[in-house]
Amino acid sequence: MPETQQQVVAPPPSRRRSRRDREAAVESGVWYPRWYWPSFAAPATLWLLVMFVLPFYVVICVAFGTLDPIFRNPLPVYQPWWWSFQHLGEVIGNFVGSNAIYQPALIRTLAFVFSASVICLVLGYTVAYYVAQYGGRRKGLFLVLLISPFWISYLMRIYSWQSLLTEDGFINDAATFLHLLPSRVNWLDGRPITVILGLVYGYIPYMILPLYGQLDRIDQNLLQAGRDLGANGAQTFWRVTLPLSHQAILAGLVIVTLPMFGDYYTNDLLGSPRTAMYGNLIDTAIGNPGQGPQAGVLVLLLVLLLLIPMTYYMRQTRRAIGA
Amino acid sequence: MDRRDPRYGSYGRRPLSRREFLRRSAGAALAVPSLSAILSACSKPGTASSQGSSTPALQYASPDNPVTLPLNKQPIPADTPIEKGATLQVYNWSDYLYKKCLNEFGEKFGCKWEYTTFNNMEEAVQKISSGQVQADVFFPTVNYLSRLVVADLLDPLQHDLIPNLAANYWPEFQNPFYDQGWHYTVPYTIYTTGIGYRRDHIDDAEVADKQYSIFWDPKFKGKVGIYDDYREALGMALLKNGVSDTNTSSQSDIDAAKSELIDLVNNQNSSVDINGAYAKLPDDVFWLHQAWSGDMIGAKWYLPKGTAQDVLGYWYPEDGKGVVGNDCIAIPSSVQNPRLAHEFLNFMLDQKYAMQNFAQWNGYQPPLTSIDPSTLIPKGIVPKSEPMSVVTPQDFDAGYWLLELSPSTDQIWLNAWDQIKAGA
Repeated sequence: MPETQQQVVAPPPSRRRSRRDREAAVESGVWYPRWYWPSFAAPATLWLLVMFVLPFYVVICVAFGTLDPIFRNPLPVYQPWWWSFQHLGEVIGNFVGSNAIYQPALIRTLAFVFSASVICLVLGYTVAYYVAQYGGRRKGLFLVLLISPFWISYLMRIYSWQSLLTEDGFINDAATFLHLLPSRVNWLDGRPITVILGLVYGYIPYMILPLYGQLDRIDQNLLQAGRDLGANGAQTFWRVTLPLSHQAILAGLVIVTLPMFGDYYTNDLLGSPRTAMYGNLIDTAIGNPGQGPQAGVLVLLLVLLLLIPMTYYMRQTRRAIGA
Repeated sequence: MDRRDPRYGSYGRRPLSRREFLRRSAGAALAVPSLSAILSACSKPGTASSQGSSTPALQYASPDNPVTLPLNKQPIPADTPIEKGATLQVYNWSDYLYKKCLNEFGEKFGCKWEYTTFNNMEEAVQKISSGQVQADVFFPTVNYLSRLVVADLLDPLQHDLIPNLAANYWPEFQNPFYDQGWHYTVPYTIYTTGIGYRRDHIDDAEVADKQYSIFWDPKFKGKVGIYDDYREALGMALLKNGVSDTNTSSQSDIDAAKSELIDLVNNQNSSVDINGAYAKLPDDVFWLHQAWSGDMIGAKWYLPKGTAQDVLGYWYPEDGKGVVGNDCIAIPSSVQNPRLAHEFLNFMLDQKYAMQNFAQWNGYQPPLTSIDPSTLIPKGIVPKSEPMSVVTPQDFDAGYWLLELSPSTDQIWLNAWDQIKAGA
């Protein structure tokens, strides 16, 4: 995403300047050497190199690396010509074939992330729409209220959910008192619904904020024009508001979906192995002696999987900017 | 009591923090290896050149096969002076040592102390071997000792500086099978693995009757939990299946144990956690949980106000045929204050401080000869509803150890565990 923003914001550096241009620029006193504008990207490039490219290379080297013979800690192999693809084969064999022990977790992850994202979108859109359209003078207050959960660490909030969701907890108290449930439910013994709602709870603010940003910017005149041209409220929404928020929906979905795929602690804290997700596979592999390379392979496979929605998003964004 | 808030203050041998977010620093350590690891990568890792020698032969200790760990060097002379103005670096499981003991040690020897924690042995070994942590004393588990010595990560002990071992401890631990002649370790705590349960929901007799299979009783669906520890969890399933070799390499036995645990997770909705016994049984979240004896002694601190201690029960096989184990204290080769480290080992083996650590904080029993099991309950150290949580020498005669496995056997265990944890 940063690249696309740069395309919009940065002044267009003309790559091929004719001599005359240059002379003209020197005369007007605003000539910059060729490296001047690109140099502005240096801090970000450096950051990306040190904080992303290098560590990511180490993950690759762990995945295709080996183990120390005594403690069986992962030993990264930095030279590609010594890489071993044995662990890659093992992990793939755990997803497909006769010993597909990871397959249920993969399918579960896809189902959980899909459900949670849809719920996030529906709920988030409603909230963002309300705040943007009807927030009036209280928009600021609503935004603060939406962001305020971030003031408390996610871990703390999930711990409080744990006590709310126990069998003698407040949720069961309320639900049985109001006769919403016939009897108390043990929400924490590995139920998909609990984990999905936990994911929704954890990530929904990331959905609301981009949606709000976009919906708030929609020109009210466009909506009025829609009504003037004979559309009713619902039609205006479908034909004006929704298409105009298309980019924000995509952005919100990408922001919530990508981290959900790697999430392991929501299930750790609210589920059981019955609801294990892809992130838990990585977590278990890291914790097990001798399975460091498998953890690296799992990370790489996840990255490959996530490249699909990411590429789609990038292409959509580029198209939208080009339009 | 807030010092042991179950949410953060973890307590006991394998603490809650395993589940904590920050624990993932272990993952970070994996992603960003130490400088030495990078430098050593000039040659292909895992081959002879980077390890100094060819793959060493590890010795797998067991009560039937006692191991004398090779001496890599000589212990320090007994007249080494006590280091002045030093800071003793302690590397241990989190909240596994009473701070008051450390303070008193500091006062007695005029030193400061720093307590650094790890959350599992893999993390500890990785940090010790890469030099990220330089400790004076370290608390390893038995199944790592031979590897630690082969990798030259421990220093031998000067026996003259540690008279308290012979004076105060069980004869079994004067010459343990895992370290004959105690060249490198002194014992720290001992424990058994049994069943913790709520006596307000389940009769003592019912647990004693059904033993391990009580976890599979549909009556207790959603109320059971096992430890997130592959050796302990699969070990219990092996015992349930009547297999007493808790270090088996038999694929069929392990597969059968695996099926039992998958059944437990899928049909009994069992939890797989680390704080279930000491924190969540007292909270009435679980009625039954696999439990280390020390966790159950410590669980009394976690009972909500107004709940009587006798709601907690602990079952361990009457004939002593269950899982036993102990933890050790050792001096790593990164030691900066060797004399002080020896003094610390001797100090922790002192009756007064070992007892203080056990009774007021830790819950895990030191193998002191002076501990009379019959007095622990009257003194209120062990709740009277949990008589079986007192560990006796007889338990160690009959019990089964979770010993170090060869890599190929370990792999069988881990594959089974992988499948259980993946929710297959």
